[in-house]
Amino acid sequence: MSRAVAAGLAVVLLIFPWVGTGEYPLALLYSTFMYVALAVAWNVIGGFAGYLSFGHAAFFGLGGYTTGFFLVRAGLSPFLTAPLGAAVAAAFAALAGYPCLRLRGPYFAVVTMILGLAVRAVVLNLPWTGAAEGLWMTLPPWEPIVARRAFYYAMLAVALVTVLAGRAVRLGKIGVGLEAIREDEEAAQSIGVPVVRLKMSALILSAGLTGLAGGIYAYDRSYIHPDFMFDLHLSVLAVLMALLGGRQSWAGPILGAVVVRLVDEALTVRVGTEAARIIFGLGLALVIVLLPDGVLPYLERLRWRAPRPPAAVPAAQARP
Amino acid sequence: MAQVLQALVTGLLTGSVYALLGAGFSLIWGVAHVINIVHPALAVGAAYAVYLLAARGVDPLASLAVVVPLFFLLGVGFYEGVIRPAARRGGDLVLVSMVLTFGLAAALENVLAAVWGPGPRVVNVAYTGRAVQLGVLALPITHLAGAGLATVTIAALYLFLHKTFPGKAVRAVWQNPEGAALCAINLRQVTSLTYGLAIASAGVAGVALALIYSFSPASHLMWLVFVFLVVIVGGVGSLVGVVVAGMLVGALTNLSTLVIPFAWAPFFLFASLGVLLLLRPTGLFRR
Repeated sequence: MSRAVAAGLAVVLLIFPWVGTGEYPLALLYSTFMYVALAVAWNVIGGFAGYLSFGHAAFFGLGGYTTGFFLVRAGLSPFLTAPLGAAVAAAFAALAGYPCLRLRGPYFAVVTMILGLAVRAVVLNLPWTGAAEGLWMTLPPWEPIVARRAFYYAMLAVALVTVLAGRAVRLGKIGVGLEAIREDEEAAQSIGVPVVRLKMSALILSAGLTGLAGGIYAYDRSYIHPDFMFDLHLSVLAVLMALLGGRQSWAGPILGAVVVRLVDEALTVRVGTEAARIIFGLGLALVIVLLPDGVLPYLERLRWRAPRPPAAVPAAQARP
Repeated sequence: MAQVLQALVTGLLTGSVYALLGAGFSLIWGVAHVINIVHPALAVGAAYAVYLLAARGVDPLASLAVVVPLFFLLGVGFYEGVIRPAARRGGDLVLVSMVLTFGLAAALENVLAAVWGPGPRVVNVAYTGRAVQLGVLALPITHLAGAGLATVTIAALYLFLHKTFPGKAVRAVWQNPEGAALCAINLRQVTSLTYGLAIASAGVAGVALALIYSFSPASHLMWLVFVFLVVIVGGVGSLVGVVVAGMLVGALTNLSTLVIPFAWAPFFLFASLGVLLLLRPTGLFRR
């Protein structure tokens, strides 16, 4: 059943750019794909392994800046620079991730948040990244609708790759190992789970996928600046989307991303950016207070609560 | 040599303000296990309050009479109205508190931007731009006032935590909540009090920072970096550690600009943090 739904959805998404809807729906879906990619990629380390990164904007921005750098300085094709951006983001994760992953819980969360802000501060100050002036790229002379279609497919591909990677990790042996790490790292290590290797692989994969999305996004914007490429808002958004959808499953963050993106868009269109961020911030706080485990587990609980008669299992039998 | 000394002393003066901001943050982290992202944003809010009052001729130091009680109540209300209901719902408190307080910080930032615009503001007082000459050192009066404010507040906080009964109760909860509860310490009251004090100290830090720096609605992000650095280096759970770390970060940031090009200063600062984490993952002073 779900396989048929997935195939149907894929066909609809593939045909969609050609049904003549204009540019806006394509742009909206494009950004939704990006959010899906960010949320699912974040979940690989944040959800599966339970290491709450608040610095994923660093990987996103690095992917974007690598694209910009090689495009402007070396004239490479964007089809090459986006994977290159992913590689740089992954390499950075391998380098910076090692000391970070020695920390746990709140310390990891705080240090990754510093990492995100730190990379921003460094890029903002280095002359060969364009520093505070940002970096301009030249897009090919496409018509707007052609450009929108191209980026639509590019980001769809990124989202698809990310979702498939996330699914493979969750359902595979690595996912079991990561779950063991999340539940009890010492116990996992004591039974021979290669804790460090798994954590590092999860972080590197997560960072690489995030960098890939950043690379496409940077090329689409054609102007990049540390303020939005390394935006802390982006890091928290990734966390929020995964949190809303449910962090234990591979599919949960997709739901969270779609919901967050649509709410964000509706608010921005209706009340403007500043007011949208105020309402979004307060709404975010409210949702977290009401649903700390996200929507999906809540819905599941509702589903389980309904059909089960209260006295179906006698108390004596229920005891193990 | 005079240049180095000058950089060192100004670094220590601003470092004391980072220490004050870090102290309140670390108090909330230690006692309530909440990463209070909104902490520096509230300090920025206090800076804007100072700006508002200074435009009506009120000296920043006098504005403390308004800021401190207001922020104390704000802290208590924040705990009772927001954090406590969130914590009671369960879930991962680190995750919930970080996302929650980030949401509030983003909202506050944009409220400030909506009212005063996104550009930077400066508080001008009679002694802005004047300095005390001390041998080869020229110490700006605003820096001295800010650092003095920070020092007095940290000292008061220290005395409160170590010499009074409610303060000892706060430390008891910090070290072992269950044990403290068994000794008939009311956890809710103590946590409420902690929030009140911590947010009030953020208010004082905001006043001090308004004296020293220009500020804009988005400044809280930069201050957040310093707060994080101070707390990670100093370790959560030690007021002395936070103070030393604050001084260290302040001095290091200032001194590094003498040795290496200005553009590389943040890189140097964060690279040294990375090395520190490799050598001592839990900070310099963590027990």
